[in-house]
Amino acid sequence: MKLKKITAFAAGTVLAAGLFAGCGSGTADTAAESTSAVSSAESAAETEETEETASTGTKTLVIGDTTFNASNEEADVNPHNTYAGWACIRYGIGETLIKYSDEMEIEPWLATEWENTDENTWVITLRDGVTFSSGRAMDAEAVKECLEHLIEVHDRAASDLKIESIEADGQVLTITTSEPKPALLNYLGDPYGCIIDVEAGFDDGIVAGTGPYIAEDLLTDDHLDLVKNENYWGGEPKIDQITIKTITDGNTLANALQSGEVQAAYGMAYESYPLFENDNYQFSQIATSRCFFTKMNFDEGSVCSDPAVRKAIAMGIDKESFVDVLLEGNGFAANGVFPDGFAFGGDQVTTETYDPEAAMKVLEDAGWVDEDGDGIREKDGQKLEITWVTYPSRQELPLLAESAQATLKDIGIDVEVNSTADHNEVVKDQSKWDVYAMANVACPTGDPEYWFTVFAVTDAARNHGGYSSEKLDELEAEMSKTFDVDKRAELAIEMQQTILDDNAFIFCSFLKMSMISQSNVSNYTSHACDYYQITADLDIEL
Amino acid sequence: MNHTALSSDFNTGKAPTVRAKKIHKNTLKTRLIVFGVLAAALVILAFFSEYLCPYDPYVQDLSMAKAAPSLAHPFGTDRYGRDMLSRVIVGSRTSIYSTLLLVGFITVFGSFIGIICAWTGRWLDALLMRISDLFLAFPGLVFALAVAAVLGGGVQNAIIALAAISWPKYARVARSQTLAQKESVYLRAARLSGCSTAKLILKHILPNIFGPILVTAMLDIGTMMMELAGLSFLGLGASPPVAEWGSMMSDTRNLLTTHPWVTLAPGFAIFVSVMIFNLFGDTVRDWLDPGNGR
Repeated sequence: MKLKKITAFAAGTVLAAGLFAGCGSGTADTAAESTSAVSSAESAAETEETEETASTGTKTLVIGDTTFNASNEEADVNPHNTYAGWACIRYGIGETLIKYSDEMEIEPWLATEWENTDENTWVITLRDGVTFSSGRAMDAEAVKECLEHLIEVHDRAASDLKIESIEADGQVLTITTSEPKPALLNYLGDPYGCIIDVEAGFDDGIVAGTGPYIAEDLLTDDHLDLVKNENYWGGEPKIDQITIKTITDGNTLANALQSGEVQAAYGMAYESYPLFENDNYQFSQIATSRCFFTKMNFDEGSVCSDPAVRKAIAMGIDKESFVDVLLEGNGFAANGVFPDGFAFGGDQVTTETYDPEAAMKVLEDAGWVDEDGDGIREKDGQKLEITWVTYPSRQELPLLAESAQATLKDIGIDVEVNSTADHNEVVKDQSKWDVYAMANVACPTGDPEYWFTVFAVTDAARNHGGYSSEKLDELEAEMSKTFDVDKRAELAIEMQQTILDDNAFIFCSFLKMSMISQSNVSNYTSHACDYYQITADLDIEL
Repeated sequence: MNHTALSSDFNTGKAPTVRAKKIHKNTLKTRLIVFGVLAAALVILAFFSEYLCPYDPYVQDLSMAKAAPSLAHPFGTDRYGRDMLSRVIVGSRTSIYSTLLLVGFITVFGSFIGIICAWTGRWLDALLMRISDLFLAFPGLVFALAVAAVLGGGVQNAIIALAAISWPKYARVARSQTLAQKESVYLRAARLSGCSTAKLILKHILPNIFGPILVTAMLDIGTMMMELAGLSFLGLGASPPVAEWGSMMSDTRNLLTTHPWVTLAPGFAIFVSVMIFNLFGDTVRDWLDPGNGR
């Protein structure tokens, strides 16, 4: 009896409390609640609508992507915002003046022809009949406005392009550079070179491009909704609506593709591949110049400012095993900046190979000795400890860190791994890291100069480690004036060798990129430059 | 309503009740011994874990990566070719000792606060109890997550985070028990006979409130072990390569569908040890229950 009473009283209290809580929020948020009720009703109506039209042939596709997020500097689809141009070009919103072939050679796209009238002058003819999704025609004036805005606001563009002035006349664009810029057109194919209608604005990171799809709704780190561009110059896109879902966790992405929540996926962890190696799914795989590499911190406070330590680290990473086992064979061990297949890549440069014995000798000769017997070397009372900063959105970067942690421990280097989505902020403070491992497409423009100007020369925007080599800077100055392709390749080899001899960077592996989709999806194809993901040809069979 | 049932109990006499009690007591004793031994064994094994591993738990052998369970590797190997059995064994040390340390700390700290509150009363009591209310109002793991996120990763910080949110429970128990004891006749007698405050608390109150606190602590070990593993799973506890059950599960969850053993092995270890500590806690509670006529 008593128990019953108590239970009844307790249940009553809970109910009453619930009621009060309900009332409280009810009075305070009536407006909010009612709107949410309306919107949920709307979305219900929408779902019904989609279902209805699905039978009449509305095609929708949902793509899961691990890399479309703010920590990757892809917070939106505005190409003038750091690396967000990648999203702009990948998802078919914007297009660039030129396009790369599978061999990374430049081909006409929004520009139909170009001419180098003198060292500093380029005359570019634009394609006729192209309109922005805002309705404006793409003419030289629009392109001029776009490029001017780009070099004004973008951190890499101004130093890459060295544009002094632009003149517009109908469909003819004349660009004058402040110094000879042999690879100007290559650079204009970088995702930041997406041609957008600046007049249409940048509301919430959404821009008006010329591509097959129009960005409609964007929530950073969550989703991007695209609708087809009915007036696309390259023919009508086949799918009506596409949603890009940001799914940073590899396991969640695998589950989403298995359950059908997404029909295609980019950035799947290699470890999950076996789940999809069957008739229900298809892979599109291609070797890219996407490289896992580490930057060394040259700040005096870092042990990596000691050349012997850098050399030992370079000798202490087992690249082959990393590729074979942890990448499951989906890549190639790297020597230098560029992979095989480029005139200036592959075996044309030499670097340290995995050799723990030799690495120990290097350290010993430099005075790093384990005196207290804890397995970690010391010198002048300083322990040989390094902080290895990396990030998890490229699923295998933390694996590289943990693998290096073990092999470096063998030679007496203690590695603390900091794998964080906040890496961009962490590496700005040179006291917080010694080695920064990242993934990057080494040759996104088909031209070797790009990598050095972004990462390696003294004043490069992303030279986080503070590396500075007079020799490299001189070679880069020479390359920037060289128009001859073979000579540029030669210089690229020499420049790579310079940074490798300094062990300023360690190149671990190049990746094969795979995009996985359900078998009813067609033309979801990976490209050597890793840009063109959604095209007008992308289709799904219902 | 239960009158007939009750009277029938009386009618059938006391003999079965006594027998039932005896059986209960006997099984209780067995349970106490069995679970006590198991729990002690876990603690001792964890202490000597380094010497019990068949392989070095931190040595990577990529040629042996993701090997299925076999005689050489009963729990298989992980993606770096490290022996899972060795890692689970070594992980017990991090997991179990962190938990014991955590529970020990919150028990002592919480009880201390509780006794102070009950003893001094007035504004200090009100202040400390409102503070503890404040902590009790937060959802535990969420608060711990916030604290751990501010402090950064690492087992130590995870312990601090969980300690920060878990002590009020002990303060509450200790306070209510002390209040009850404070008014008892024997304590007044002791006070009248000139005992100092320290002596009153240490010699008279503490032994009398020890039982309930111990039971709370024993029952908490399992929960705390889970929460620590939870924090580690979320990346806020142990950092690589430290073997800790929660972080081991988290690191390998990509492999759950393709190579399930790497995730199941630490999961199973958590399951078994949490169960042992919970059953032991339950038994201790039964044993200390005055109803047992001890």
